[in-house]
Amino acid sequence: MPAYPALDTTTLSRRRLLQLLGLGAGTLTLAACVPEAGPAAPQAASTAAAGARTDFSFASWSLTEETAAPAIRELLGQYADANDVKVREVSYPYNEYISQLTLQVKGGQVTGAVHVDVAWLGSLAALGKLQDLGPLAQGADYTQAGLTAAQFDGVQYGLPWNIGAIGLIANSGLLEQAGIGEAPATIDEFEAALKDLKKLGGGVVPYAASTKAAQLKDVLIWMETFGSPLLDGGKVTIGDDASVEAVTWYKSLYDQGLIAADVDRFDARSLFAQGRAAIYDDAIVGRDAVVSDSPDKKLADKLTAWSRPVLAAGDTPRALVWGGALAVVQGDGAETAADFAKWMTSDVEVAKQYFAARGLPPATESALALPEVADDAFGAQFAERITATATTNPFWVYPQYAQIETVIAEQVQAVLVGSAEPKAAMEKAGAAAQKLVD
Amino acid sequence: MSASQFETLQHTNSHSPPRRLTDGQFALLLLLPGGALLLGVVLYPLVAALVTAFFEQSLVVPGRTFVGLANIVDVLTGDFPRLLGQTLVFTVGTTVFPFVIGFALALALNTRIRGAKVLRGLMLIPWLVPGVVVSFLWMWIFNANYGVLNALLETLGLIDGPVAWLAQPGTAMTAVVVAKTWQSFPWMMVMLLAGLQTVPRELHEAAEMDGAGTVRRFFSITLPQVKGIVGLVLLLELIWNFQHFDIIYVLTGGGPAGATQTFATAVYETAFHGFDLGRAGALGLLWMVLLMGLVVVYIRFSEKGEGK
Repeated sequence: MPAYPALDTTTLSRRRLLQLLGLGAGTLTLAACVPEAGPAAPQAASTAAAGARTDFSFASWSLTEETAAPAIRELLGQYADANDVKVREVSYPYNEYISQLTLQVKGGQVTGAVHVDVAWLGSLAALGKLQDLGPLAQGADYTQAGLTAAQFDGVQYGLPWNIGAIGLIANSGLLEQAGIGEAPATIDEFEAALKDLKKLGGGVVPYAASTKAAQLKDVLIWMETFGSPLLDGGKVTIGDDASVEAVTWYKSLYDQGLIAADVDRFDARSLFAQGRAAIYDDAIVGRDAVVSDSPDKKLADKLTAWSRPVLAAGDTPRALVWGGALAVVQGDGAETAADFAKWMTSDVEVAKQYFAARGLPPATESALALPEVADDAFGAQFAERITATATTNPFWVYPQYAQIETVIAEQVQAVLVGSAEPKAAMEKAGAAAQKLVD
Repeated sequence: MSASQFETLQHTNSHSPPRRLTDGQFALLLLLPGGALLLGVVLYPLVAALVTAFFEQSLVVPGRTFVGLANIVDVLTGDFPRLLGQTLVFTVGTTVFPFVIGFALALALNTRIRGAKVLRGLMLIPWLVPGVVVSFLWMWIFNANYGVLNALLETLGLIDGPVAWLAQPGTAMTAVVVAKTWQSFPWMMVMLLAGLQTVPRELHEAAEMDGAGTVRRFFSITLPQVKGIVGLVLLLELIWNFQHFDIIYVLTGGGPAGATQTFATAVYETAFHGFDLGRAGALGLLWMVLLMGLVVVYIRFSEKGEGK
């Protein structure tokens, strides 16, 4: 038997291995320190639909929602069949959507058409990957309000799909039981109405206002109602007397059990659908969810839109613009995605079909003139009482909008659960928001 | 082959000697695929993430500015003590409670009770359920407005109105610990049962004949025999729980008002909801340093065990 040489174990010493690892780590560190490129100017979407249709992605939070997804999928199928393409669905729940979409768009994993809340356009535009859809919007009869809502910094980053507002929706059946005839006009009347509703008992939540951090942005509209501008020429005013007063009032509703703990928009819809909440905040998009989930087959007839009560009689009721738009992320399939976005938002037949399925107001003049849309009593009431006085959130113009909203929500929640005093918490929130604005 | 033939062959090949790898080179070659994967998938993202701790960098605003240790100082003088405290409460709670329950069940199943195998299988179910599903299950139980627990307690007359278990700082952490305990105890039980089954029955029989009672036998025989496996499972659970994310995040999102925030959820929240990559990197760096301490203890413990 031949004698095999002993294995040479000294060639790769521990020191050598460490040196190699050190070298590798150094290289990685250098690579990790490479500066990022700045954003490019938005690329204009092509108006010519000459190119061959290609497969593309479509991202929407609505695809995760049981009541919304079938109607959207039906339309996606129609477009795909008509153009012989495949549409890849991308979806995340609403509360996670902007974070996930930002990551995916930044990383290049998502291109094509994306459903966006108009509040997010600033944040997404800052990534430098959204197309300018201005040329595409020409020739379609979008409402001016819709076009404006889907712009950021003067650029048409989105095509308006369903533009409206967030306001108070009430169950007239429960209001009647509590002896509430007319909508309260002032904050004091509103609180008195909530106390009357509380007396109904049976676990009824008078006002299913948001108390979970994910949707505590709703408190901003109450701050405006109490007279805080939120932002005044680049200076964040949260922490002023009006915002503190608003949060103190919100906390008093919480302590009296007039609003409930552990509620976000989706909990509120669920409670409202079950007849366990009398009033909640939502856009008209919520009608579809609450009506279809409700054991009360007549709930649709009981829905009533309320103008938000004001601090003093004569003030203008506040409401927050809310809407969905379709944007297009540059990359694979972007051209077809842009064509799809225009078809989805401006085709009258599509609007008719989508309205029949979900009751959402379209964003073109011709679709708004459709008899079924014009005859929608609740839609008209919502538009008159809520959308008519809606304004945008002044923080939307900042790419850090989501951060601003988060730091404010955290402090409001700290007040609600008794971990902080309203004055100190709002000053802290204001300072944190100011840092982000600067 | 004869010796002369071998020499001839060597002579013939002397003009183009075969390329021979040293053992070190060969070892490097073997390490290459795994090393490349480690560099690309683990080390690069890790280093890139940690480097952001020294920059002011947003997820949505392009570009970044070097700020030195500012982010780390900011975290250390800000949220760090609170986060450390809450992470420790969660980690210790979700290690100790599953251990106590798991050990008690392992002791019970180690006796000759009827149906032990069926029970052992049933007990494993919570461990097999994905963390997100566990979270939704407990969210439904603890929900203030339509939760099962409130309904049960109200029916029993123990509470007058709904309790917001997940929305009060005092109860939210307890709720999270309960949910994680429910998921973790089966693993503890299985590991400890395996340890218990290695204890020779003769030792117990001899001690029993000498008049030792159950408690005495537990402390004098069982515990010394299984202390190795006990130490191992406790250390592993501590390390895992220190970095646990899914149940906390899904159940409370770190709330209310940050009352259940741990390092894991804080890093995620800061990076992906706050979009502040610099601060998230600083949190991650400090978290990793603490975690490395635990890992060192684990390695020492393992080496000590191997030495024996």
